[in-house]
Parts: sequence; structure tokens; C-alpha cells
Amino acid sequence: MKSEKIATAMKKLLICVICFISALRLFADERTILLGPKTIGPGWKDNILLEARHFEKAKAGDIITVYNDNAKRTAQAAFQDPKDWQGVAPEYGCFNVGGPFRMTLSDETLAKLRERGCYIGGHDYRILRVTLTPGEEFVEKIVWRGPAKQMKSDWSVSAELPAACFKTLKVGDGLVLHASRVEDGAAAKIMDFTWNVLEKATDGIPVGPTGCTYYINDDAPLLKLQLAGKDNPAALRIGGKGYRLDKVGIVSFIGQRSEDLTDVQRAPKEYKLQPGELFHGEKLFPNDWSGNLRLTAEPFQECTESDVLILHYELLKDGETPQMSFRENKGKWYDITGAKEPIWYRLDGNDVVLTFDNPQLLDHLKTSGLVITGLGFTLTRIELISAQ
Amino acid sequence: MAMLLLFCACSKDAEAEPQAPVTQETGEEAVLTISKTLVNPNATAEAQALYTRLLSVYGTIALSGVVADIDWNIREAENVHKWTGKWPVINVFDFINIHASKDVNPQGWLDYSDMTHVDQWHQLGGIVGAMWHWQVKANNGTNLTCSPGEKPGETSFDPSQVYVDGSAENKQALHDVDQVAGYLKKMQAKGIPVIWRPFHEAAGNTYEFEGGGAWFWWGAKGPDVYKKLWRWMYDRLVNHHKLNNLIWVWTSQTGDETWYPGDDVVDIVGRDNYAALMYPLMKEFNALTEQYPTKMITLAECGNGDEVKMSLWSKIWAQGSRWSWFMTWYDHAYNEGNSDEHQFAGPEWWTDAFDSGTVMDREAWKKVKSEK
Repeated sequence: MKSEKIATAMKKLLICVICFISALRLFADERTILLGPKTIGPGWKDNILLEARHFEKAKAGDIITVYNDNAKRTAQAAFQDPKDWQGVAPEYGCFNVGGPFRMTLSDETLAKLRERGCYIGGHDYRILRVTLTPGEEFVEKIVWRGPAKQMKSDWSVSAELPAACFKTLKVGDGLVLHASRVEDGAAAKIMDFTWNVLEKATDGIPVGPTGCTYYINDDAPLLKLQLAGKDNPAALRIGGKGYRLDKVGIVSFIGQRSEDLTDVQRAPKEYKLQPGELFHGEKLFPNDWSGNLRLTAEPFQECTESDVLILHYELLKDGETPQMSFRENKGKWYDITGAKEPIWYRLDGNDVVLTFDNPQLLDHLKTSGLVITGLGFTLTRIELISAQ
Repeated sequence: MAMLLLFCACSKDAEAEPQAPVTQETGEEAVLTISKTLVNPNATAEAQALYTRLLSVYGTIALSGVVADIDWNIREAENVHKWTGKWPVINVFDFINIHASKDVNPQGWLDYSDMTHVDQWHQLGGIVGAMWHWQVKANNGTNLTCSPGEKPGETSFDPSQVYVDGSAENKQALHDVDQVAGYLKKMQAKGIPVIWRPFHEAAGNTYEFEGGGAWFWWGAKGPDVYKKLWRWMYDRLVNHHKLNNLIWVWTSQTGDETWYPGDDVVDIVGRDNYAALMYPLMKEFNALTEQYPTKMITLAECGNGDEVKMSLWSKIWAQGSRWSWFMTWYDHAYNEGNSDEHQFAGPEWWTDAFDSGTVMDREAWKKVKSEK
């Protein structure tokens, strides 16, 4: 009887342990935190805020992955601090996009993300989803241990890595460049055996205080390594400037992606602009005055004093005194009319109509464009109505 | 009094409203005030003839131009020819990489002393232009840069020392200028006049917004030093090296009147614009015309900006801009096959330009040359 009780207790304990491990495992998966699509168009003007809540339980070493498509060959991206629009760390201020891109969280970046989240910006690509993966889901094997190479500022130095280092490398893995003595503006260049860059994304990878990681997103780089031959003593070359390359590792993802979308952040719905529309979407102008929308002068080039701008919006439920103003898209954002103090349009739910019959307004509009500021509403559509 | 008020109101409106396009008549009126001769009294006959021809068409038609892909080639002109079947009139070369020229550096990757492209371009009826992203040693001692500043990759090269005899900057500057003078002399010897545009965009964005400043070292010490620097170079090239084949183009930035080197050392005034929209361009052209009434005005660099696409040339012209010529910027990534779209001015823009009937290609320019 006693042994049965013990066995039952052991069973329960075992089940608990299994459940606990499963729960841990579930939490350890790569979790989607933002679901797109979100188009990051030309000119560094588009971005999306990754909300701070996603990072409450994150820890240093965890990895944010941004899956994307439609990237132009010149596409670039950034992880930006909402506080000052700088990169959350210098190496994340601007980098090339060549497949999914990632950020490994450090204590410093994590503190910023926990406090205010971060923007994913850049130009010329589309975000499909953003995930957060615990660092322990990646295992690293060091494949090259030097001798260390000091990368000079004239890009003249490189390390040669033999083909044997990359026997186990596969799509999805990352090459980790461990660096020290990293200077401002340090960058790595990963080249194939013919001295050409392995791919566009490896031409000047920003190097952080401890190095950088380049992920293999398709077969092309692996083919280049194969072409080098299995005995090639210089199948891959790592160069760059402003850092010392100490060792190189390969990281592999050993976890799995959770399909659980509970609590996921969804990008605002995207609309294709119809003729005459300058904006169609959901642009929040919260009560903290942080919302603004810039329109360049381009669509206004042929406008006349008879044209008007119609702005559609929805009031926020907890809005204070919803209001909107129009500013010059330059300098100190003076009122678009040239007035010293901004003119505020009180919002009552009806569309706002901005007429162009003020010559100065029209001149400013055609010269530098427009910034819409305000609070307490969500801008949904802007139409430019021509008198013709 | 009422009439006076009415007049005031009207004139105020006239200032603020979009200005009327420059008409043929007003264009001709403007031409009347423009200097007929180059500032260098010893200018070569070829240089003076080129200037005279530029003036003869000014205000009625613009000349097309491109810059080389970085330094010493005609790759962008070849793009234009591939897209449109026509060659631009002007090809501007850049002395940015003189340090890597094989005649001074055995490890160099280009050779400015090889005049093949320049000579051929001239022989085929094109106009040769030259500019200079003048790179000096960066603070880290190895890199070359034009960017002023204290960081390792920037340079604290002091422009105010360039014209101080015996200073380190003076020695370096003389070395570089004399090297460039050598190439320009080769052109002079071949009878090639050169549209010469050094020390461009000196004021940077000093007057664009608070905290703005110069982005090239030659503007780092402000307008007075800059003007002395310009005159120092003018003296070195014209008086010392007897380079008389140069047409001196000064590039103005917004609000930089105090940086103008002077009517006696500038032949043509230019503007660089990478948010080249028709309306602001028209305003800038009119402002420059008013400000420098004895000089032709040119759109020395242009192209799409980060946020806006350059207006089509037909629209720019229709809005009233009457730039002497335009020069679109290069896209090295496109030329290397790493980008599908030309970043600054692609086939659509160039096709519109030539189709507008307001832009000359090299063949049309040859006719002007043969007639005048």
C-alpha cells in the first residue's frame, strides 16, 4: 500500500516535472511578437514600434528576428530608440537587409526596450513578422580561434578561414564574429575565396562591442563555400575595419517556432492608395503629443489655391481635447500659414478641410511639404482634392 | 493712400504667390545683364567660345549633363545613351581619387594621366567638366576623406592654413593642386576647355536649420576663409600654372550669399539639389538669377532625394526654371549591377527630358558649335 502511494506520488511528480519542462519549452520557443505586413517604403519615413510589453520577460542574449520580403537590393534597416531615433546600439542604427535580420539583446538595449520599446525602420522592404527567441535556443560552436586579426581602418587586413571550418554550416545558421578593441564605425566584410563579398549584406556589417553575427538565409553563400573546395585553406575571408577578430563561431537554432499568436502585436492594416489619396491607414496621434505625419512637397507641386486637403480621422475614446495642426515640413515646424503660433483645429468628429487659398500656406506646402501634429485621434485618410 | 495700400497688398501677394514662369522675353532680358566674357582675361579662345555658346542658348534650352561614376569614366553617359539613344552634352569627371592615380601611385587603380575618355568626349562634340571631391588624410592617418571633424574617420585639415605659405596644409594642398593642374594642363594642351567646379557646396546646410554646418573641409572655417581659399586656388591655377581653359563654376547653397568668392573669380553660379522638385527649383533659380545678375545659373547636381523623386524635366522647365545645364548624379550600385533602379535619374526621367524639346543632346550641341 505504502509503495503504491509512493509510486502514485512519483507519477504525479513526474507529470509535474514533464509539465514544467513542457511549459519551459513552450516559453523557450521562438515567439511571434508582431505580425505584419508592414511596408517600410523608401526614404526612411516608415517604421513600426515594437511595444515595450514584449520585453518584460526577455533577457540579455535573446534574439529579435525580423522576417521580411520585397526587399530591394539597396534596402536598409534599423532598430531605433523612440527617445532620439538613434540606433538602440550603434551597430543597429543602419545595416543592409539581405533576408531576415536580427538583433541580439544586450543589458543596455534590453533596458531601453523594456522602457519604451523600439522602432523597426529603414527603407525598401516589408516586415512579415517579428519574433523573439530566447538565447539558449541557439547553440554556438567555435570553429576558428585565430590567430586574432586587427582590422585596420583602411580595410587592408583580413583573416582566412579554411573550408574545414564550415562543414556543418547550413541555412539558418549564423556566423558569429567575436571581436574586441572595437572602434567607432567598426565594420566587418565577409568575402568568398575570390575576395568578392559573400553577399550584399556582408559588405560592411556594423560591429558591436563584442562582435556581430551574420545569418545564412539561403543556399547562395553555402554554394560559394562549396565552390572554394573542401580543402581550400581560404574558403572564406573576413575583413573590415576598426576591430580585432578573435574567433568565429557558428550558431544554430535548436528550438521551434510557436504558432501561438496570443498577445501578438498586429501591424495596422495597409491600404493601397487610390488616386488623390495621400494617406490611408491608421496613424495614431496619442495624448502624449508623440504622433505626427510628414508629407513631402512632391504631391503638392501642381496644386493651386482652389485645391483642398481633406483629413478623415476617428476620435480616441479617452482623448483629452482632440486637436490637429499643420506645420511646415522643415526647421522648427512653424505653422504652415507662416503664423508664429500654431493654429489648432478643434476636432469634433467631422472631417478637417485645409484650404489652399492662403498664398503663404500654398507656397510652404509646395516648397517643403507638410507635417500634421496633434492629439486625441487616429488619422485614417488624407485626400487631395483638385478643383479641376 | 488707398492706391499705396493696394500696391503694397499686391506686391506682397506677388511675393508669396507662385511666380510666373520665366518667359522667353524675361529670359532674354536676363541674358542682357550677363557678362559676355570669362573672368580670366587670358582665357583660351576655346574656353571663351564655349562660354559664348552657352550664353547664346541660355534661357531658351538647357544642356544635358552627367557626372562620371565616381571618378574617371563616362559610365553614366553610356547609361543615358542606352536608355534614350542620345548622348548627354556634358560629362563631368571628378578628381576624387587622384591619390590612386597610377602616375603617382604604382598600386593605383585608375590613371588620370590617361586622357582617352576626355579626349574622345571632346572629339565627339561633348563638353568636358571637372569637379573635385578633394580628399585629405583623415585623423586616423590612413583614410582619405572630405568630411571635417574630430572623429578618426574625419579630418581636422585646416582650410585657413592652406593659403599660409609653409604650413603643413599649404604643402599638402600645393602637392594636390599641382597634381590636378597637371591633368588640366593636358586638357589645355589638347585645346579642351573645361567647366571647372571646385570647392562645391561649401556652406553645407549651415543656413538650413539650427545646428547645420559644412560637410566638406573647405567650408569648415566659414565664409571668409572659404573665399580666401577659392582665390588661392584661382591664383594657383590661373596665374601660376597658366591654366586658361577653365570656366569657373561656383556652387551656391541656400542662404550662403556671404560665401560668394566674387564676380571677378566666378564665371557661372550653380546649385546642387537632391530634392529637385519643380516648384522649389523655380524659386531657387529665380533667387539666384536675382542675386547674381551677371552670371549664368546652372543646376550643377541634381537627382532624386531620399524622400522625393525629382520632378520630370519637362515639368521643371514648364514651371519656369531656365538652368543653363543640369547634371544628374551617378549610381554606382546600379552601374555595378547591384540595384535594379537608378537612384538619381533613370530611363523615364531622361526620356522625358529629351522628349520635352527643352534639352540638348550632344548631336544638337554639335550643330550649335558648327553654327556659332
